[in-house]
Amino acid sequence: MPGAVEPVAPQAADLAATALSFARRFARGATLWCAAPSWPHHARHVAVEFVHPVIVGKRALPAVALSGHDVVGELRRVSRPGDILLAIGASADPALREAARLAQVWGLLTAWTGTGERPGAGAADHVLWLEGDALEAAFSGGYVLLYHLLWELTHVCFEHPGVLEGTAADCAGETCVTCSDEGRLAEVVAVQQGARARVRSSAGIEAVDTTLIDSPRPGDVVLVHAGSVLSLVEPAR
Amino acid sequence: MTDFLYPFIDSSGVDAGALLDDLARSASAKASESASLCEATVRAHSRLIEEAGREMADRLAGGGRLFAFGNGGSSTDAAALVALMGAHGTQAVAAFSLAADTSIVTALGNDIGVEVVFSRQLIAYGGKDDIAVGFSTSGNSANVLNAFVEASRRGMLTIGFAGYDGGELAGCEALEHCFVVRSESVHRIQEAQAAVSFALWQSVCHHMEAAASP
Repeated sequence: MPGAVEPVAPQAADLAATALSFARRFARGATLWCAAPSWPHHARHVAVEFVHPVIVGKRALPAVALSGHDVVGELRRVSRPGDILLAIGASADPALREAARLAQVWGLLTAWTGTGERPGAGAADHVLWLEGDALEAAFSGGYVLLYHLLWELTHVCFEHPGVLEGTAADCAGETCVTCSDEGRLAEVVAVQQGARARVRSSAGIEAVDTTLIDSPRPGDVVLVHAGSVLSLVEPAR
Repeated sequence: MTDFLYPFIDSSGVDAGALLDDLARSASAKASESASLCEATVRAHSRLIEEAGREMADRLAGGGRLFAFGNGGSSTDAAALVALMGAHGTQAVAAFSLAADTSIVTALGNDIGVEVVFSRQLIAYGGKDDIAVGFSTSGNSANVLNAFVEASRRGMLTIGFAGYDGGELAGCEALEHCFVVRSESVHRIQEAQAAVSFALWQSVCHHMEAAASP
């Protein structure tokens, strides 16, 4: 029955926190990438919402709907560190799982909204989950309400510039007392001769030393510190 | 700009915690408002949902096709109805979104004008057994109105979705059924239109199943 999908009220605090994170990223120049492989119309609706606001005078914010055919490949090509990924769909969707996992390695803020079983801990920075039937949430206004509110709350944050400069959890890094560098996750992009590799992380693409691990492969997620790969965190899938 | 909606927030304040509390309260209130509007709108249109669903099912059973259209967010509402009709019913039907093909939409928009991007496609595709479903939150989108005039001329079943007081769609003689969401907020209108659209799809499925069973 229409309306049987729970309103987002129970997740209102999560929604508010997500909006503030979005606003902080937008303020630093982020682009919002929307991926909804099962419901592509939702990705397009989010994009038009941010790019062409319904309230005259609201600033246009960069948001793009990914085609959904190859979410990971497309996101790898177009995204930059500091951007945002909004994933819309089931936690079991293999493309969304992979995109959310790698997006975090690449330094994107990740938010995931869907129905059914929630994504596992750490699958995304923000999880906005709807109760109720998947088809009904997708077609009876559930997701639409959620991203309408997300858009609106993001713009409210812009009216309070003080909060945009806060030390967001998503940009606070622990640094090493010896070398002032931080340990960070990175994806191996290309393996090179002489125990070297090019990796992609929140710092962008960089060349690193791979002496400490055995035969790295493109797609491996590794821990990088001070120009060296310290360990293999997750092998390529 | 939206200060009037959030009178409790001091625009000079930097207290993120207080802001988050206020945002969450606002989100809850708007979610409740949306749920009430969806429920009330579906209830107010229950007879129309039943009638339009039956007429749509009749046309589809006779080989008719569905063409849905709208601008911006409304084009995604049209795409949602097309996805539901095309892939999620017990009997998949031929359903098309007239905003889907960017080559056709930009060709018509550039060569003639945005007001004909849907009507010109109906001239090419539409026939007397077919169905036209258009979405316009204002009820005043010229290309949606033009499409209904063309659809009606071709004998198609015409179904419209509008907001506010229905705008020009409410008085459009080419329109057989019009669902009006009584709200002043584009967002709440779209959410309630989605709820009605979903109920309409359920009604179509119900009538198609009833017609198919011995």
